[in-house]
Amino acid sequence: MKKECIAMLLAGGQGSRLYVLTSNVAKPAVPFGGKYRIIDFPLSNCTNSGIDTVGVLTQYKPLELNSYIGSGQPWDLDRLDGGVHILPPYMREGDKGTWFKGTANAIYQNIGFVDMYDPDYVVILSGDHIYKMNYGKMLDAHKKAGAACTISVLEVPWSEASRFGIMAVDGEDNIVEFQEKPKEPKSNLASMGIYVFTWKKLREYLINDENDPSSSNDFGKNIIPNMLNAGEKLIAYRFDGYWKDVGTLESLWDANMDMLSRGDLDLLESSWPIYARLPSEPPAFIGKSALVEHSVVTQGCEVNGTVLNSVLSHGARVEEGAEVSYSVLMPGVTVKRGAVVRYAILGENCQVEAGACVGGAPESCDPDKWGVTVLGPGACAGPGEVVAPNTMLNRDHKEVSR
Amino acid sequence: MKGLHGIIFSHENRNDLRELTTQRMPASVPFAGRYRIIDFILSDMVNAGITDVGVVLHGNYQSLLDHLGSGKDWDLSRSHGGLRLLPPFFYQTAGGAREFRGKMEALAGVRSYLEGIRQSHVVLADSDLIINIPLQDVFQAHLDSGADITAVCTGDLTGPADVTYFRLNDQGRVTESLYPLNNPAGCHRSLEIYILSKQKLLELVDECMSHDQVSFRSAVLQAKAGSLHIQSYVWDGYAAQIRTLRGYYLRSMELLDPAIRREIFHPQRPIHTKERNDASTYIDPAGTCCNCLVADGCTIEGTVENSILFRGVSVAKGAEVKNCILMQDVVISRDAVCHYVIADKNVQIMDSRTLMGHDQYPMVIAKDSKV
Repeated sequence: MKKECIAMLLAGGQGSRLYVLTSNVAKPAVPFGGKYRIIDFPLSNCTNSGIDTVGVLTQYKPLELNSYIGSGQPWDLDRLDGGVHILPPYMREGDKGTWFKGTANAIYQNIGFVDMYDPDYVVILSGDHIYKMNYGKMLDAHKKAGAACTISVLEVPWSEASRFGIMAVDGEDNIVEFQEKPKEPKSNLASMGIYVFTWKKLREYLINDENDPSSSNDFGKNIIPNMLNAGEKLIAYRFDGYWKDVGTLESLWDANMDMLSRGDLDLLESSWPIYARLPSEPPAFIGKSALVEHSVVTQGCEVNGTVLNSVLSHGARVEEGAEVSYSVLMPGVTVKRGAVVRYAILGENCQVEAGACVGGAPESCDPDKWGVTVLGPGACAGPGEVVAPNTMLNRDHKEVSR
Repeated sequence: MKGLHGIIFSHENRNDLRELTTQRMPASVPFAGRYRIIDFILSDMVNAGITDVGVVLHGNYQSLLDHLGSGKDWDLSRSHGGLRLLPPFFYQTAGGAREFRGKMEALAGVRSYLEGIRQSHVVLADSDLIINIPLQDVFQAHLDSGADITAVCTGDLTGPADVTYFRLNDQGRVTESLYPLNNPAGCHRSLEIYILSKQKLLELVDECMSHDQVSFRSAVLQAKAGSLHIQSYVWDGYAAQIRTLRGYYLRSMELLDPAIRREIFHPQRPIHTKERNDASTYIDPAGTCCNCLVADGCTIEGTVENSILFRGVSVAKGAEVKNCILMQDVVISRDAVCHYVIADKNVQIMDSRTLMGHDQYPMVIAKDSKV
């Protein structure tokens, strides 16, 4: 059946800057904020925005992500018509198919999928951003302007503008120039990697782009500049809520801490719910010897130690006499008696044995060498072991360098 | 098809849960921070591989319907089989529609449903029982013993008084079913879980119907202890029948004991419930929380001790909550003090109010009240 608007979610990236956290899962499946995985944000935004058809483009280590999405039921995306669809690369007659070569190529290879719904508009989303956004409003702006493409932008401090893809606009927010990580930015409007396209236009540009052997088949590098050069109408849609790209260990840690402070990213605020798929676990137990401050705890947690400024995901355990501060404990982590965890991200099912010391405060070492300490999923810090700040260990207890 | 079919009875009047059951049946009384009482037996059935479950409704069942929905949270929303709700308008008699008086009458009212059961055997259970029991083991014991009926019971006699007791012989066969019984020493307490074949169930239903007998206990357990082989299955794990408010409070507070939580929250046999989308619970630097069971979606800025907080509870700065059970979305405002209070869903306690119940008589605040 025809749909006015469908969403395509780019979830195939390796997320190599998350290192050990994505050694076995795709970046969108990385846990966030106690109950969620990163992909819950775009999926929930879709369903809250009234978009009921979402294609999820997967490529890198998709198994956990696939089983997490399942039928799409937690996000109300199990529909008779539409719903969520996993779209991996596939074989075709003749050229026998290829991996997705770039973001634009991923959509190009699934033109057939989009055409099944014959939409007027397509929203292109990334699977590595934490934000709450109504795509419906952005679509309204796109329709009102009669644009070929609308790009969601965020005002960033001028000093940081050179780290982003920057949109230079005229007085009516028409995009006049796109600069990728410019040394001398012409504006401070950064692209959030969220696009609304008029499907007919995008389809045309995808086919032309595919026929250009020199193209890297990327939205930012190719499709957007090509559209600008051809004089298409591209507009910027200003977003002023919380948005964070969690593609790096530091930004993932930051976003978790931002969630704790409940400023712009208040997950307990219920008007725009974020949905998740969770195992059924009993409520969290906070014991007699526990001290918990400025932290979140989730079902299945058992806390008997000290937890300060930290995020405890479901099934995390902190034993008596252990101390966890400024850290993110992903699902199923155990911190045993007397262990200390500071400024760390502990991947799913990590074990920190008794008396171990993982990570440290910025003032505890040379500031140039400091960083968040990361244990990959399934990794273990042995009894009494000291894991220095800025260190990463994988499940085989090997140190991984950044 | 060899296998088990589940039938759960929900009763309205056989309890003293005070304000907690003015708007709902005991089956849907909230328990353990995020569950309803019926979740336990229902999840036990699902965890034992039972795919078809009928719930016999009774009385004020609106809240139970809201809770069970299509059954999808228990994986019982199926195109074939799954959850079937059996409402009381099935009990049409010459005198018009009325509620059923006993289990046999309830089953007679849904006879056509019983005939359509795909499985060879049926497990009958009540909905006021907190238990995490592997029903597949009970079923295997039933098949091995060759009994007509297998009755699950416990040697722990500390539960509510108005229950059925069994006298067992050396082979574990039930020789007598007793109710009421003032001195149950030497007996076993029935947990009201019975397994029998579909065929035997239909025979018994028909026989009772033609003799105008309505009660499973008197017409089957008591009258047929000699002619039928009723075998006991003695369960030595945790089991709590919730029939009184005092029992409800004590059984809830027991959950703060890790050994008891381990018994009812078995990792391989999870208890499922209707899911809600709450973020994780936030504990503010101004708040303290100790010896508490806390569900998701709570905001704790005050002091909370020895309490059970359901989903979405908020405790404001300066408030003090001790030995309380606060159900879904309860709001405790600034500087309010609550001791030994059971606050039902959506209760709001305004600024600086002081509410003191007692261990022996907890104060219950009815659903949606504002103090």
